Amino acid sequence: MRRLHLVSWLAAALVVAACGSAGGGGTGSTNSYSGKTIKLGAILSITGAGGVYGPQSRDGMMLAVDQINKAGGVNGAQISLTVSDDASLQTQSAQVAQTMIQADQDLALLGPTLSNSAVAVHPLAESLKTPILAVSTTGINIVPDCKFPNTTPCSYVFRDSLGEETAIPDNIQSYAADAHPTTAVLLVAQDDKFSSDGGLIVQNTVGKYGINLLKTIKFNKAEADLSPYVTQAVQLHPDVIFITSLGGIPANIMTEARKQGWQGQFLGGNGFNTATVSKNAGANGLGARSASAWYLGNTFPSNADFVTAFKAAYNHDPDQFAAQGYAGIKIIADAAKRANLTFSDVAGDRDKLRAAMETVNIQTPLGPFQFTSTHDVKQTVWIIKMDGQGGFTLVHQIAAS
Amino acid sequence: MGQQILNAIFIGSIYALFAVGYTLVFGVLDILNLAHSAVFMLGAAVTYTLVVNHGQSFWLACVLAIVAAAFMGLVIEYICLRPLRRRRAPPIAALISTIGLALIIVAAIEQGRPGTLFAWLWVDGANPVTMPPGTFPNPTWHVAGLTLEGSKLAVVPVSIALMLVLGYVMRFTQVGRGLRAVAENPRAARLMGIDVDRLISLTLVISSALGGLAGILFGVALGGISPYIGRDSVEVRGLAVIVLGGMGSIPGAVLGGYLLGFIEVLAVVLLGSNVRAGVAFAALFLMLVLRPQGLFGAQLRERI
Repeated sequence: MRRLHLVSWLAAALVVAACGSAGGGGTGSTNSYSGKTIKLGAILSITGAGGVYGPQSRDGMMLAVDQINKAGGVNGAQISLTVSDDASLQTQSAQVAQTMIQADQDLALLGPTLSNSAVAVHPLAESLKTPILAVSTTGINIVPDCKFPNTTPCSYVFRDSLGEETAIPDNIQSYAADAHPTTAVLLVAQDDKFSSDGGLIVQNTVGKYGINLLKTIKFNKAEADLSPYVTQAVQLHPDVIFITSLGGIPANIMTEARKQGWQGQFLGGNGFNTATVSKNAGANGLGARSASAWYLGNTFPSNADFVTAFKAAYNHDPDQFAAQGYAGIKIIADAAKRANLTFSDVAGDRDKLRAAMETVNIQTPLGPFQFTSTHDVKQTVWIIKMDGQGGFTLVHQIAAS
Repeated sequence: MGQQILNAIFIGSIYALFAVGYTLVFGVLDILNLAHSAVFMLGAAVTYTLVVNHGQSFWLACVLAIVAAAFMGLVIEYICLRPLRRRRAPPIAALISTIGLALIIVAAIEQGRPGTLFAWLWVDGANPVTMPPGTFPNPTWHVAGLTLEGSKLAVVPVSIALMLVLGYVMRFTQVGRGLRAVAENPRAARLMGIDVDRLISLTLVISSALGGLAGILFGVALGGISPYIGRDSVEVRGLAVIVLGGMGSIPGAVLGGYLLGFIEVLAVVLLGSNVRAGVAFAALFLMLVLRPQGLFGAQLRERI
């Protein structure tokens, strides 16, 4: 009887040990993690101009948190993620970040959704020595110069979203090689950092590929009617219209340009890369090309598994923003697993996490993932085009350089 | 240039229709109803929801959306205006109360997602949506280098006809005379046996129905229907229009709407795209300096 008891205890101990390592390989510090909570905060634009993107990021993050916690957590510690809406407003974004860092004592933050808000939030996180991972911001000077024009590199700011400085030139190069366009017009929202940065990159790039930029047409993102701008662009008969803008604007421009009889090529930036834009543009967006950090149809296991799980959880396809949000949680979880967190010294744990994030090397839906020495994403770029039915098809893939 | 003139006429019609509702309330009550932009948005949002999420025909959806917008007029009157009027609150209180209602309506719509409290009204959150192709007849003609689109062309006669009807009602009917009496002096009107509260409710209903219709026309012709189309597209411009035309003047609102449409478009063509809003509001500033009562206004009765 005593022997039976002993066998039962041994079996139970083995089960507990197995569960403890299910979170992803023990590091010898499993016991200190067990039963603890890793508090994370995400600042996302659920409403406002960035509301096209934020909910997808949130859903991707929540899926990752759910999967990790159900699999035993991070070395036994559960992840607790708080998502707060910044309403796409820079000031609200900074207020939320400050609360998460100082009042809630979160270990690390994710976000904010918009580059326009990142210029306020990232320097704040840097000054309060809290790791922050940008999951959708693609503007210039997000990493490492978060305090631009001060060029001291920010050491707590990371990014898993593909910067427009990489994406837009790759997209232009790819289309120039395929179709040899000679003229273009740029339509750019001037009152938004993401959009105006994109416009600047287009202006600085097109000349390298023999494209003559006939005109840059600036507008404000809250314009009632974009028709006058589109008419100006169309009347120049360009081969290409570049659109660098947020939210529903790219789809409205495409629709109006097609109505006015223009049949050329639309090229754009990260603002194209969500199903909402493709769906709203419909047949008018057919063939519109952009460079994306992610492609729905990729069949490598880390993406196929993500797509299947996302569809099961939310009953619709994920988009790039969901994939980047999901990858963001996986990246922080991997770093936390290796960081030997104490759970008693938040400041010390934040430093440990920051150091561990620099050496992340995991498989994500975005592909194999590492950070560059400047904390930017190093990944394959997917050139995609709208399929005219709310989705995208793959045109080219460009390996990480 | 021809295409740009068409663009100006189209957007001018939307501004005019929206601003007529604004100015009607101001003319009768001496207050600005800043919930009007939320009603504009509701017109477009309800039409979209009824067509896409509830499978209704486009025309029925339009009628129901106008009814819903008119009902919102009663909500504005009973919740935001009448209680304050009873307590003789100053016009600024009513202004703030309508801003509050507008924010609540927009917030309610942007929370609308599948499975939420407002899913019956809106399921796309902050996302902009567009009427699916084929929802309504929208023939497009290309004539002499111009693109003539049915949905935009229709906006012009619909707007003008409605504004003419409204002008006729105000000038030649018993209701119109009553409204003008209330606008002139509510107390005297009450002493003359006019049911002032009923006429004010009617004003809000007519104004909101026009605002809702403007939202429908805007959403149908331009797409991008979202919780923010009223706030972003017409709210401030509507104020500019009624200042240009003269606060409280219906012909002024009509003329001001087309004037603002032309100023904005000409600014893009002649001065460059990035100065559109600046030029429009510079014109507004000039009007305020040179002729504060606007084109058709008699005098400024309240400074808000």
